Amino acid sequence: MSPLVIYLLLLKATVTSFAGMGSLPQIRQDFVETRRAMTDEQLSQAVLVGRATIGPMGAYVVAVGYFAGGPLGATAGWLAMITPALVAIPLLTLIRRWLHLPRIRAAVDGVIIASAVLLIGSGASLAIDAVQQLMRLKS
Amino acid sequence: MSTRAPGEPATRPAEGPSLRELVAAVAYEANRTVGGGLVSIELLRRRFTTRSWIDAADHGVFIAISRFTPGTVVLAYVVLLGWRFHRWLGALLALVVASVPASLIVFSLSATLARIDRYAVVRVLLAVGILVASLLVLSSAWHLLRPYLPKPSRLRTFIVAGIAIVLVVLGATPVRVLLVAAIVSSVLPLPESTK
Repeated sequence: MSPLVIYLLLLKATVTSFAGMGSLPQIRQDFVETRRAMTDEQLSQAVLVGRATIGPMGAYVVAVGYFAGGPLGATAGWLAMITPALVAIPLLTLIRRWLHLPRIRAAVDGVIIASAVLLIGSGASLAIDAVQQLMRLKS
Repeated sequence: MSTRAPGEPATRPAEGPSLRELVAAVAYEANRTVGGGLVSIELLRRRFTTRSWIDAADHGVFIAISRFTPGTVVLAYVVLLGWRFHRWLGALLALVVASVPASLIVFSLSATLARIDRYAVVRVLLAVGILVASLLVLSSAWHLLRPYLPKPSRLRTFIVAGIAIVLVVLGATPVRVLLVAAIVSSVLPLPESTK
């Protein structure tokens, strides 16, 4: 598979997701089922490597790129991971322009509060996962 | 609290990090823990607020925007940090140093097909690391919520948080949770002080 195709497919997956592993269903659909560029086992390996590595979990797309296209595929995966982040700059510019309006400020406050709720969910999920892993190791 | 608008570039160099300080801080904090980007965000928040480079309002807005940015949340967050102090150069360098080390490790492990999970000691270390990471994520949530708990915003906070919790329990996607929270919060009556 060419690096350009890998980049575009992974970009489609990362642009339409809003969290590290959120792109997984789309990636499985494109790389495992539709194009058969990798196996389910390789995808699982990519996810495992991404989880066990420092930094963002979204880095697993680098492994997906590697399994689909070697070192150039891995580079395409890295580019697909970082490209969507640049959208934050125009978003900041827009929000900064309207933030003095009380209703917009209230909307941003609502997003911050909901983000905290989502973080509590993520933190609890991580803690449960870690405890289950430790219990499995003990038994 | 800062008097300038959140996300506004610092007008005096002393208010923010130099490019080198920014890159070093992002490279260190974004690449020193397992558990994902949310943990790195909390470490970055601690580093940047301790040095008064950003305040709680900046952090809150950056979190809100990062959540609405497609892709990996922490990468959007470091882009905003870089942009805040050094515009495009800061944003691009922060993005590179936050993503390249992890990507190189992922690449190396994939290339060698290393099954790191087959060693019990590695699994224990990972589990403990993730447990610590979960505490950092919960701490991050507390720091986001704390400014909204005093009166007069307390009732609004409970309503928005309650709706968000219900949506999470019902299995709504994060973006839908955030959108509903934004709409609900914007239509609720505003406290007198903000009108």
